[in-house]
Amino acid sequence: MMCPHMDAQLNEYVDGTLAARDRASVEAHLAECAGCRAAVAELRSLAAAAATLPKSVEPGRDLWAAIETRIRQRAPRNVQRVWWFGALAAAAVLVLAFGIYRLTARPPDRRMGEGWVAVQADFDRATNELGVILAAERGRLRPGTVAVLERNLAVIDAAIAESRAALARDPANTELRRLFAAASRQKVELLQWVTRVAAS
Amino acid sequence: MHSDPTDLIHRARQGDRAAFETLYHAHVGRVYALCLRLTADRALAEERTQDAFVRAWERLATFRGESAFSSWLYRLTVNEVLLGRRAERRRGARIVTTDDPAALERPGAASVAAGTALDLERAVAALPPGAREVFVLHDVEGYRHEEIAQLTGVAVGTSKAQLFRARRLLREALNR
Repeated sequence: MMCPHMDAQLNEYVDGTLAARDRASVEAHLAECAGCRAAVAELRSLAAAAATLPKSVEPGRDLWAAIETRIRQRAPRNVQRVWWFGALAAAAVLVLAFGIYRLTARPPDRRMGEGWVAVQADFDRATNELGVILAAERGRLRPGTVAVLERNLAVIDAAIAESRAALARDPANTELRRLFAAASRQKVELLQWVTRVAAS
Repeated sequence: MHSDPTDLIHRARQGDRAAFETLYHAHVGRVYALCLRLTADRALAEERTQDAFVRAWERLATFRGESAFSSWLYRLTVNEVLLGRRAERRRGARIVTTDDPAALERPGAASVAAGTALDLERAVAALPPGAREVFVLHDVEGYRHEEIAQLTGVAVGTSKAQLFRARRLLREALNR
């Protein structure tokens, strides 16, 4: 029976990861403790057996057919395409960030209605671009991820639609503009995250 | 027939599925063994093996040849298995270690040495998932604790603690 307090040290000793002084101390202990010597022999035997386990095990059935079906639907991505999606997403985010800045930084005035129309158009264009990226990359995401994404997008889109409808009635309302900006930011962050996950 | 792996990888990158199939046949045994030992579940191992090759196909462009293709593929496989397990855990599903020893049997394992190896395979399959993963990665596959920590998202100290625990449980199981 090994000394319980020696567990970690004996493992490190067998792995050869102890500093010289600790190693000498363990060796001094081993010289006097038969239980720990037996434990070291067992650990060495276990490590040797593990290292010689067969590295290759053939699956019990053919897996290639299913793999081929799945890869048939998708070409290998090339680095340029991944870069292009990243650049598109970044550009869309910049447009959105600028729109949100215009929406929240400008003091309300009579021309706010015009500014608001421009911001909405920018927002629609940018989210459409991100939507295209999402549609292209959707097949690369796990079904569970897609389900969570769709649930979150539905919630955010509902918030955007509500604040947008309210802003149409009252374009100079600062609180409503902040609400719209917050929901838009959330959508951008979510879509950015998806493009990152799909590209990883 | 032995094809040049660099040429196969290059052709697969261009969308050549036949070249990728050759790569698949060259590596499936190793990838499946890794999945089987990490999951201790034959059906799940088959699923993860397929996931790993699909992911490899998609990510071939990111393989730059700095390491061997096999190392790149096996690391990607480990990632797939660990990501899959985290997703299962989030969904609340519990992966139970196999109760079916045949899951880890290989045809033709009849010698005394193979019998000992089979005992060890069974004992590894019965380990708790965290301890099993670290044991397989460290003692069977030869990964360092720093690499395991990076792959599994745990601290180096936790990786060591899991390994020592796995070895303790295995010694107990094999001495019974």
